[in-house]
Amino acid sequence: MIRLQGVSKRYKGASTYAVRDLDLEVRPGEIFGFLGPNGAGKTTTIKMIVGLLKADQGKVLVNGHDLTLDPIAAKRSMGYVPDKPDLYPRLTGLEYLNLIGDVYGVDGPTRSKRLAHYLEMFQLTEAVGDLIQSFSRGMQQKLALTGALLHAPALFILDEPMVGLDPKSSHLFKEIMREHVKQGNTVFFSTHVLEVAEQLCNRVGIIKQGELIACGTMEELRTGRDRDGSSLEKLFLELTDEGGSYEE
Amino acid sequence: MKSRVISLYSAMLNTHYGLSAGKYYYIKKKQRLWEPLVIVASMGWLLVLAVWFAWMLTEQLFLGGLAFGQPHLALISGTLIVSVLGLFFGFFNVLSTFYFSNDLSILLAWPLRSWEILLAKLGVIVTGQYILNALFLLPIGIRYGLLARVGVGYVVSAFVVFLVLPVIPLVIASALSVVLMRLVNLSRYRDKLTLIGGILLLVIVFGGTYWLQQNVGTDDPSVLLEQLLSQADGLVKAVGRVFPPSVWAAQAMAYAHTSQGWINLLYLVASSALGLIVLYVLGEKVFLQGVIAGLEGSRGGKRRKKVVLEHVERGAFLTLLSTERKLFVRDPNFALNGLIGYVLLPVMALLPLFGQNLEGNPFEQLNFGEMDPLLVMGGISLFFMVMIAMSMIPSTTFSREGRYLWIVRTLPLSIGQIIRPRVAAAQVVNTVGCVLGLLPLSYLFGWGVLEVGFGIVFGLLLSSVVAYLLVILDLSRPMLNWINPIKAVKSNFNSIVGMFGTMVIAFLLGALFFLNARTATLWLIPLELLLVTGILGGLAWFLTRNVAPKLWAKI
Ligand SMILES: Nc1ncnc2c1ncn2[C@@H]1O[C@H](COP(=O)(O)OP(=O)(O)O)[C@@H](O)[C@H]1O
Ligand SMILES: [Mg+2]
Repeated sequence: MIRLQGVSKRYKGASTYAVRDLDLEVRPGEIFGFLGPNGAGKTTTIKMIVGLLKADQGKVLVNGHDLTLDPIAAKRSMGYVPDKPDLYPRLTGLEYLNLIGDVYGVDGPTRSKRLAHYLEMFQLTEAVGDLIQSFSRGMQQKLALTGALLHAPALFILDEPMVGLDPKSSHLFKEIMREHVKQGNTVFFSTHVLEVAEQLCNRVGIIKQGELIACGTMEELRTGRDRDGSSLEKLFLELTDEGGSYEE
Repeated sequence: MKSRVISLYSAMLNTHYGLSAGKYYYIKKKQRLWEPLVIVASMGWLLVLAVWFAWMLTEQLFLGGLAFGQPHLALISGTLIVSVLGLFFGFFNVLSTFYFSNDLSILLAWPLRSWEILLAKLGVIVTGQYILNALFLLPIGIRYGLLARVGVGYVVSAFVVFLVLPVIPLVIASALSVVLMRLVNLSRYRDKLTLIGGILLLVIVFGGTYWLQQNVGTDDPSVLLEQLLSQADGLVKAVGRVFPPSVWAAQAMAYAHTSQGWINLLYLVASSALGLIVLYVLGEKVFLQGVIAGLEGSRGGKRRKKVVLEHVERGAFLTLLSTERKLFVRDPNFALNGLIGYVLLPVMALLPLFGQNLEGNPFEQLNFGEMDPLLVMGGISLFFMVMIAMSMIPSTTFSREGRYLWIVRTLPLSIGQIIRPRVAAAQVVNTVGCVLGLLPLSYLFGWGVLEVGFGIVFGLLLSSVVAYLLVILDLSRPMLNWINPIKAVKSNFNSIVGMFGTMVIAFLLGALFFLNARTATLWLIPLELLLVTGILGGLAWFLTRNVAPKLWAKI
């Protein structure tokens, strides 16, 4: 579903690579967790997958489409929820959703059905007629999620989706990811919390300082060693609550 | 220690005019040095034009006025023009500084007294007005002084007049904006009302002219002015009835050596002082209290309508067009800056009518009413083209997206599909704005349906290709890292380059038309318009195909 081949990215003026020589494969029908501490390069990688950043080197394929050669076909098969849901503050929620629906060509009856489903689930049905600037952060995140799912994308990409959500909403988000995969789609999301990945993912990849240091099922990783042979234990510690080194 | 008000004032002046950002780039980092050069060049050009205009106008009006004992007609025109301009800019400035600026919620949390905030904010507005006034009043005052061989008294009273003149228009503008915002806040249709308010102001001005005509009993402006002028003091009284302070100001300067002059000056100063008090009370009681009330949540007691999840299915083009238009019109920072031209330009074109039918009036030579239809048509086309650049809608279209640009960038659309609705949205706003301004002018000058109609058609074509190029210009170097939306339009270099470039094209075409008029080849004008449209359109087409996709991928 996603295939990264030797992808590297260095921001203009930066001395080090944000992402370096990354190979990654996400298979159709799985929930893939992209795990790593703050500043590891998760957002950078995701932005290259959804077409917001151009890779310096390497190839990004989504659903078989090369992102530099055929970006439109690639984008058509994706739905993306960014880490910061910056949505036009001066559109109403409904206007935003209809913009997305129109651009992706979602027909009327399907659109109504999906909107009713998600808005009801998120309890946004009342507020969706208001300007987005009056939404709380969590509400905006839910609106962005609804927009990203409106065209039922084969690939659903979320960047740190649980940050800033209350327990009930974060439970909902997890449910939605599971539901989406059950319908035959693929989910790719990033997180810096090990626990979230444990609950949801079929497979995880771990990125640190721009390099993929491990990739596989939870079981494989727990017993395994990373590429330079040291135990993954220390890293896992960093990624769990007990490690004490993560904020948010 | 610098006074708190002063440092607050200078900080606000900085952000309002983007001074710090400029200093940072141009002086400290020595980057983008060609930008200030272009700004200075385009501003300098306008400056020279304004000064020259005021200088010549003064001369003509002085001589014309002398014929019937009103040599200070020039001073009245000058004070009237700056007062009207002050009224307009004041109105928009008050709205954007007090109602739409997002710094008030921060400032109110600081340990400042409300009058300190108020004083600093008004200071910023008044500073802008002084600069504008200096542009017009200095050349008028100096030219008049030279012609009338005035004494020291004139200089003193001129100085006082200059100082107090911005106050009264500002008071009126503030009162108007208070009324407007009260109406707007009461209604569910906020966006529409804000726009309507701007148009309403236009109507008030036209209504005022109409009322003046009714009062004198004719609606033909030339007959009206003849009547007015044939009576002694007629024009002065007429203007005095509409806006007395400008007459006081003019007479205070003209009769500076007599008691009549001092009395007029006293009137002006006293009424301005009264105005200051009104302004302060308005500021304290309405602006600041209003903001505090606003911070508590504007939705307040209003009941929310039940949302029906209904929609009209539209194609990508239409939905993007309407989104672009909504986002522009709904943000007052964008709308006020972009739309002011549509209101201001026709009004400024009407103002000189006050001086028509005077002997040697410079506007007589232009003689709009008897212009060749082909020339009218060409002029209208240029008007459309210049206005679309002035609106800044196409030249800041990507910059205005700022951190929301990710939405469009992740949509499965080609860059052509993204550019076209943006051009169309700019064109929708531009057409409405231009036609609204054009109608009263056409009526007044008696232009025919045909020349206006063809002018609009050619104007639409020409402004569309120009808008296309402006969108690509913004695509090539969008300014995305703003926090305050006003930065995206006001301190955006693309809008300045766009305006300047369009002005140059308009200037060249205008010169060509002038040449046509001289050589009796006016029939060439439509062909010239088509040719320029074709060339620019070809360029736009080429850039969209070969350059825009790369720019889009690179952002
Ligand atoms: N726009 C940018 N310009 C320069 N450096 C950046 C930019 N965005 C991120 N970086 C750097 O790239 C690295 C990876 O960042 P990011 O992908 O956001 O990490 P993550 O999402 O895993 O927390 C960090 O070192 C960060 O400082
Ligand atoms: Mg991140």
